[in-house]
Amino acid sequence: MGRHRLLEHTADMGIEIEGDDLADFFLQAAQGLMAVVAGREKPEIRQMRRIEIEGEDLGELLVNWLNEVLFLLEIKGFFPAVFHIEEVGARRLKARLEGEPFDPQRHRLEREVKAVTYHQLRVEEQNGRWRARVFVDL
Amino acid sequence: MAIKLERCGPNRWRIPREGKMRTEGLVFASESMVDLLREENALQQVANVATLPGIVGPSIAMPDIHWGYGFPIGGVAAFDPDEGVVSPGGVGYDINCGVRLLRSAMHAAQLRPLLPQLADVLFRNVPSGVGSSRRDLRLSAGDYRQLLTQGAGWAIRQGFGTAGDLEHIEARGAIAGADPDRISERAQERGRAQLGTLGSGNHFLEVQEVETIEDEAAARVLGLFPGQVTVTVHTGSRGFGYQVCDDHLRVMRQASRKYGIELPDPQLCCAPLASPEGKEYLAAMACAANFAFANRQLIAHWVRESFEQVTGLGPADLRLNLVYDVCHNIAKFEDHVVAGRQRRLCVHRKGATRAFPPGHPETPAPYREIGQPVLIPGDMGRYSYVLVGTAGGFAETFGSTCHGAGRVLSRHAAKKAARGQDILADLAARGILVRAASRATVAEEISAAYKDVMEVVGVVQAAGIGKIVARLRPMAVIKG
Repeated sequence: MGRHRLLEHTADMGIEIEGDDLADFFLQAAQGLMAVVAGREKPEIRQMRRIEIEGEDLGELLVNWLNEVLFLLEIKGFFPAVFHIEEVGARRLKARLEGEPFDPQRHRLEREVKAVTYHQLRVEEQNGRWRARVFVDL
Repeated sequence: MAIKLERCGPNRWRIPREGKMRTEGLVFASESMVDLLREENALQQVANVATLPGIVGPSIAMPDIHWGYGFPIGGVAAFDPDEGVVSPGGVGYDINCGVRLLRSAMHAAQLRPLLPQLADVLFRNVPSGVGSSRRDLRLSAGDYRQLLTQGAGWAIRQGFGTAGDLEHIEARGAIAGADPDRISERAQERGRAQLGTLGSGNHFLEVQEVETIEDEAAARVLGLFPGQVTVTVHTGSRGFGYQVCDDHLRVMRQASRKYGIELPDPQLCCAPLASPEGKEYLAAMACAANFAFANRQLIAHWVRESFEQVTGLGPADLRLNLVYDVCHNIAKFEDHVVAGRQRRLCVHRKGATRAFPPGHPETPAPYREIGQPVLIPGDMGRYSYVLVGTAGGFAETFGSTCHGAGRVLSRHAAKKAARGQDILADLAARGILVRAASRATVAEEISAAYKDVMEVVGVVQAAGIGKIVARLRPMAVIKG
């Protein structure tokens, strides 16, 4: 079972991610990001979105994946509740997201993330487990 | 590696040139601030910036310096146009994050009974939370291009403000060289959704009262008097700028390798100012800067409308005129004198405010005698400051000074400190009304989370790189 943990930083926040396999790793990363942005606010499942992401390497794929989730929420107004990682390789990821339209009247978010950064970003595999730390600019 | 720090004058510390540094570091700080700084990585970041090619003069840090991605926040660095580089990390994600100050003809006592209503109306009229925007603001493709090249001027021509506003904005509200063709579709889309919004975190809109005046002559020129109602807007280029930064960090990571620039930290990635990558970043950065100028212009317009709606007074009675609008995240070409020689330089200011002296051609004509106004926001429970630029600062810091207080507590620590307190009620008891889109923002933005901005501007004034004019106390705070 993978996990994610929020890291403390004076000005910004980080997410420590650990996954049993790559799919679990990307799932934990998205859940960690939602913990930063939405806190305990939980959307319902009423809609579905499919997304496909590419990156030059696993680090860039991770940053692009998280930025895409943010973009969906902030700009497309889709508030994801559940992430299904359907296919993942070193440079490509396909996912299905379930959630509902974001409604500023009903949903209270915790904070806005400006960007997911490359700061000290390294995705590592150890004994079949995938780990990374990623910092977000708030 | 422990960074060496030597005192080199009152409130000044030198990081001596070592290893790959091409120049020394110059840190403005008091004795007590330095002890805190030694525990942070920000000083290492000052030294890292000093290794970049073509840096002119020292790598400078302001008293509100803290750790940032790549360059420290509170950093100033100037580069030679031929030998030097431009770095998105030297500007930050929020391109042209800045502060705008409006004065009024109202006294705080006059406004006080209407304050709760005004706070509600401002909170409604100025979108602040994630996903909120003004539905009545629609941009055609042609409008969007003009906004990106003309900045605040575009907004004024659309009816958001008056022509007189322009003279009171840094660079008259538009940075030259903006090229909308350099903007990714994603940046366009993020910008379209967030134009005319405040954003969250440390961004805010405040109705304030002039609490104290320290320089009466300068205050008179700025039109400020004790007890006067003022309004401060602190925001930037929103998702548009964040995306421009992100897009160009990718390009710069490759460009740094291509041009053989050795980087102590990948977030310092950069390209020569004379290279296509460098020029493209500057053209895109100018679009984002202009987006931010337009954003603050729109918000100021809705502030004026909100005041009219609540007070029933017209513009001629309210006189909500612009004191100034200044950016604190930018890279710009400017003329400076270095070692007795006039040089054109690209000055990066990341969490540092331009502070031009009296008599400088870019100091707006009405302020030519006193220097360019500098707006320094503090935290929501204490105060903000108005300063003016000085000749000493122009010579020593490329005409730059501090930009704010800087966090001292992480968000988690701030929340913990806030636990068990009714922050909104405590602030209300002190005459400060808060309207925030998010609960977390209120707890994370408590005064204790920030340095006392009074200490920061105190060092700035003692060091002669800025002069305090007035202190503003919050009455109503709107946050995302």
